[in-house]
Amino acid sequence: MMNQTKVGGNKRKIANIVAMAGLIIIFIAYMFPFLMVVINSLKQKRDIIKSPFSWLFTIKGLSFDNFVKAFTQMDFLNAFKNSLIVTVSATVLVTILAAMLAYYIVRHNNAVSKATFALMVASMIIPFQAIMIPLVSIYGGTLNVLNHRITLIFMHTGFSMAMSVFMFHGFIKGNVPIALEEAACIDGCTHTRTFFQIVLPLLKPIISTMVILNALAFWNDFLLPSLVLTDKKLLTLPLSTYSFYGTYSADYGTIMAGLLLCVLPILILYVVLQKQIIGGVVAGAVK
Amino acid sequence: MKRKVMTRVIASALTVVFMASTLTGCRFGFASDPDDPNEVEEKIPIDTSTDTFEYDPALSGTSITLLNSKAEIQVALEEMAAEFEKKSGVHVEVMPVTDGDSPYTKVVSLYNSGNPPTLSILDTTDVIALAEEKAEDLTAEPWTAEAQEYLTEVNGKVYSFPLCIEGRGLIYNKTVIEEALGETFDVSAIKTQDDFVALLDRLVAAGIEKPISMAKEDWSLGAHQLQYIYETYDGTSEGAQTVIEQLKSGELDLDSYQRMTEFLNMFDILKKYNVAKGDPLGADYDEMAIDLADGKTAFWFNGNWAWPNLEEAGAKTTDEYGFLPYFLNNDENDFANQMIQGSPSKQVMMDGQMASEQQKAAAKEFLNWIVYSEIGQQMLVKSCSLIPPFKNNPYEPQDPLSRDIYQHVQDGTAFNASAIVPNDHWSILGAAMQKYLADRCDRAELTESIEEYWKQQK
Amino acid sequence: MKSNHKIKDFGIFALPGMFCFFAVVIIPFIYGVYLTLTDWNGVSQTKNFIGLANFAGVMQDKQFWSSLLLTFKYVIVVVILVNVIAFGIAYLLTRGIKGQNFFRAGFFTPNLIGGIVLGYIWQFVFSRVFVGIGESTGWSLFETSWLSDPNKAFAALVLVSVWQLSGYMILIYVAGFMGLSEDVMEAASIDGASGFAKLKNIILPLMMSSITICLFLTLSRAFMVYDVNLSLTSGGPYGSTEMAAMHVYEKAFTSRQFGVGQAEAFILFIVVACISGLQVYLTKKQEVEA
Repeated sequence: MMNQTKVGGNKRKIANIVAMAGLIIIFIAYMFPFLMVVINSLKQKRDIIKSPFSWLFTIKGLSFDNFVKAFTQMDFLNAFKNSLIVTVSATVLVTILAAMLAYYIVRHNNAVSKATFALMVASMIIPFQAIMIPLVSIYGGTLNVLNHRITLIFMHTGFSMAMSVFMFHGFIKGNVPIALEEAACIDGCTHTRTFFQIVLPLLKPIISTMVILNALAFWNDFLLPSLVLTDKKLLTLPLSTYSFYGTYSADYGTIMAGLLLCVLPILILYVVLQKQIIGGVVAGAVK
Repeated sequence: MKRKVMTRVIASALTVVFMASTLTGCRFGFASDPDDPNEVEEKIPIDTSTDTFEYDPALSGTSITLLNSKAEIQVALEEMAAEFEKKSGVHVEVMPVTDGDSPYTKVVSLYNSGNPPTLSILDTTDVIALAEEKAEDLTAEPWTAEAQEYLTEVNGKVYSFPLCIEGRGLIYNKTVIEEALGETFDVSAIKTQDDFVALLDRLVAAGIEKPISMAKEDWSLGAHQLQYIYETYDGTSEGAQTVIEQLKSGELDLDSYQRMTEFLNMFDILKKYNVAKGDPLGADYDEMAIDLADGKTAFWFNGNWAWPNLEEAGAKTTDEYGFLPYFLNNDENDFANQMIQGSPSKQVMMDGQMASEQQKAAAKEFLNWIVYSEIGQQMLVKSCSLIPPFKNNPYEPQDPLSRDIYQHVQDGTAFNASAIVPNDHWSILGAAMQKYLADRCDRAELTESIEEYWKQQK
Repeated sequence: MKSNHKIKDFGIFALPGMFCFFAVVIIPFIYGVYLTLTDWNGVSQTKNFIGLANFAGVMQDKQFWSSLLLTFKYVIVVVILVNVIAFGIAYLLTRGIKGQNFFRAGFFTPNLIGGIVLGYIWQFVFSRVFVGIGESTGWSLFETSWLSDPNKAFAALVLVSVWQLSGYMILIYVAGFMGLSEDVMEAASIDGASGFAKLKNIILPLMMSSITICLFLTLSRAFMVYDVNLSLTSGGPYGSTEMAAMHVYEKAFTSRQFGVGQAEAFILFIVVACISGLQVYLTKKQEVEA
């Protein structure tokens, strides 16, 4: 018995070392593209084209020029501001509206609730491609409201509504006891106050999950914003990266710097909020 | 516990590095940057002392917008607009189309957002698609007389202003050829396809192993190369249209169409001497500019718009670059072997649907100012480095590529034929051409896909 | 009084959310069905009713069918690779090795970044860095750019997608493994069950719920691939890597055939709906058995 464990222990140790080595190799492979971006963002165009793989110390023109160029040419601050406005407004809007709608559906088991909920669940399988053309036709051709930030915020809200309501619905059903509200009702609290003062605080865990999921999706979305926004002053970060990349010329150094700038805000946030983000994403998927 | 510490340390290290780089970015961002292309090192002076143009004082204070799809002239256009505002009081807001977007998509989306630009710089095919639905009729404008052969008509009416002439062909680097061969290079001695091949072989013998660069981009292959089969029909836009109509109806059999065979023969020659022969679809546009400027190659199939790339790669305006025709055969008298293609590829369309009468009048004044005022004439050529299609413009372009095209236009050795093809022609047939370039299909398959494409057009 | 209250509740709680949802998803979807029957060109004010002509156009559009076929191929390869790799890495991570959180966080990073940016990063790696490696080492695998050969470009697309998606799946599988009780694993190894038998008979059945989630997520994400497709290969070389989603976009917005494009989008919807339905059905069946 004693012997057996020992053998098992040794075996396990070796296996763990192999596993660790394997992981490190895979990890480096995973990080390789980022590494290349960082290295080349500091080089000059000629060096990048002629020797992209060379390390920094083997070439002469190491500089931060690319960052300066990318920063100004991408109009980074403006794009960052646009992304921030759109992401924050849409996230707040969809969180509140979806929570309220889900709450209504759970508490009012009428035909409208049932039909809406069923429609929402069904709509989750509609690919965006099936909606984008009529969307442009209605909001562009008929209503003439494309190219406004508020239109994009509204659409983001609409598109993430179904998923958000679905998640809130599940949570409210399982975790919010009706007794609390009934007590409040006796105290003469209005429904609106009951919701904001009693129900909403109870939803904290699911709210943080939904905020993370939605905010990530809004921040990174490309196709929808590309259909809605064309005015250069309104472009979000993915859009300005796309337009910056250009069709005719590839100024690699500046592009690498631009890509790095684009990734930075998220990475910084990730480093700070790593636990919450991973937790939120897992919760969002597993529920 | 230890694990946590490690994560923390790495995390904070990363943050510090990233913050540092962002901050440096910031700090430098506000300083003057010598590499910034927006800051032209030596500005070409514009003489504003004489101005005989008559401005309409009633238009002062009007505000119009101009959508610009030629990114390389954005700064120059803004300067032009500022100058015009100084003189006329009309404010012209220049909006760029970002590179990733097609000008057509952009202008349609601006119509969709309810604020279309008063003026928009578009490709000819886009103007034709939008003309009758959206554009203002410009047939009665005076400048039509100055650019007669460069006007585009839709059902007998002019809906657009030709902004510039653009030409394309085989760009050569004269110095490289002369250094390799040890003799002066006389362009006019190259008269036929055989002459050209002989020259290539001599260059190879002299050590330039693969003397040609050709772009793999679909716009280059699908629009600039393939369109020779329409445009060399007889060297006119009408001729090009005839070929297209016949292809649509299925009347024209490409296998027996002389120009198609000739075009492919020339294309095969370019393919054979292509510097990226080993991986033609991996060729890099910027590398081509560098190779030509450095002398690794001697030719690059492209147009005069390639100058900024060459300049960035180290070429100077005093260097000797020029164009050779796209040789189609060995007949010295064939116009295709003598002339360079040069046509008004960019057109300015005026909104006729939502603009006010006041705005339309101001926009018309701006167009007239470009053609007739001394300042407008100068700025079109000197600030924007465009080749003016207007006969009355006395100024010559500055860079060697535009200068060469300009010279050809002046000497009558340029042919103006623009094939009007659908918006997806370059991408769909560009893909077919890429396939042929990579030796993934034979001539028969390429011809078939071209015929197939045209049959689907209504 | 009471019904008044009800209407007020409905107006405050349900209406705003419903309005967004209907205005953005349901109405455009229904209008889209109508658009498939018209010849709208994206600009003109008039739309003529042309019956099923657009669907006939779809039938003739060979490129659409080959892009759909390619999408199937892509989805199958990506779904299998992502799940196998993520499962494997998650297994390694949960063996109690040091730095688990660090690795997990690192692997997830690609998922935080938008497809457009990732595609550009990799485009640079494939067309410049790999070719640079090829030139200096002479490895024929890297001699030419992967993006200039149809098969290799497809492989590149798969590689990037796997790279991007696996981090997310690793998180879910790790959560799944953490949920397995130590006793089960311990018992299995004491019983001397071989690695494979252990995997097949003990781990897989217990991980079924995680697998279901991961399959669903990878399936739906892979089917809708657009951003990476656009920025990495943009359909090239010569249109050989154009996926269905991208083809629909091109058809409508570049070729200006909105009716045909919408009809193709509708077909895509039906395909996705069928596959999602099938997946839900199979999952339900699996759950009953388990």
